Amino acid sequence: MEDHELKNIWQAYNRQLEEARILNMQTWVVHMQTVEYLQLHKAQSRLQSLGRFKTGIVVLGIVWCLFLGVLVWGNWFKNPYFTISVGMLLLFNLLAVILYIYHIVLIRRISYSESVTGTQQQLAKLQASTLKAIRILWLQMPFYCTWFWHSSWIDYGSARFWLITFPITLFFTVLAIWLYKQIDYKNRHKKWFRLLMGGKEWTTVVKAMDYLDEINRFKQEEQVHLQNG
Amino acid sequence: MDNSTAQHDFVQLMAANKGILLKICNAYCTSKADREDLAQEIIFTLWKANSTYNPDYKFSTWMYRVALNVAISYYRSTKKTRNTIPFTEMHIDLPDLPAEADAGGGIALLHRHIAALPELDRALIILYFEEKTYREIADIIGITETNAATKISRIKEKLKQQMRNTQTKAYGRP
Repeated sequence: MEDHELKNIWQAYNRQLEEARILNMQTWVVHMQTVEYLQLHKAQSRLQSLGRFKTGIVVLGIVWCLFLGVLVWGNWFKNPYFTISVGMLLLFNLLAVILYIYHIVLIRRISYSESVTGTQQQLAKLQASTLKAIRILWLQMPFYCTWFWHSSWIDYGSARFWLITFPITLFFTVLAIWLYKQIDYKNRHKKWFRLLMGGKEWTTVVKAMDYLDEINRFKQEEQVHLQNG
Repeated sequence: MDNSTAQHDFVQLMAANKGILLKICNAYCTSKADREDLAQEIIFTLWKANSTYNPDYKFSTWMYRVALNVAISYYRSTKKTRNTIPFTEMHIDLPDLPAEADAGGGIALLHRHIAALPELDRALIILYFEEKTYREIADIIGITETNAATKISRIKEKLKQQMRNTQTKAYGRP
């Protein structure tokens, strides 16, 4: 089979479309009413719904941060462990909220009229960047184990504290730092990663990462050609 | 320009370029429902992005960019046909092509092999078949002309090989 034979088949396809009158205005009409219906009924694109989902998360995040802020303000150093722990929780949640706001800005900036690889890369990056927010949120884990600490437990060498509370906090601290470092695209094929990120939302994130890899390979080839050229 | 004039101009452009829409919908969706949903999504995105079109450039180049971006995103999405307006209201009907017009089965076969290609390769070969220059293809896809030419050549070879293999299996001849 030669090039022209492939093209001939495609041209036959064009003729077939014409003959089948699928392209005929009588069977395939796009008119003013269509545009009006689109404006009225289909006012939400996939990106917009992703934007709305992220906006919802931001609103919830802000409410949660306000709650934490009130707790910190209302208990300002009455118990330093409580103030510092809740203050750190507030900090990590604020960072995550800022990251989600950044995502919303990115969503608004994405344009489908850019080049195909450019737009697809931006879309995949947007989905993949959810992982950054998750990494940050894991770091708050140890502070959920410290907000109820009391200085008397340390001052008087409470056995329950040193044998149970402290080791548990230490364990979660090490785990949080390890997860922060290890939740990365390069580890996506590891069993623990797939167990942890096995949900539907994470599957989308992992797929987006794979796609980013694919686009990079697709574009990389041109660099090889340029170097060779 | 008032809204009704903009709508009128947009509709005229859609009518003149509806072949692009149809071929892209056919290349990325096999079911009629998906094709209609995708067509609606492409038209809606084109309408929304209408203000970003620069009349100094070819309308078809801009339309290919938007349509391919929407089609690839749609294809990659797991949620499909979730928001289709009934086509009686939409006046968009994209039925399956009649089999009798493809007596040799070549069109269906070529479509099947194109459908098996990765999304970006599929976009490249559609643009090639649509007689776009390497420069236009490179511009739409966002790669260099050299890269576009090399990739298209590789995809063509692959398609030819697959077509040959299928014909050999079916008719016992190359």
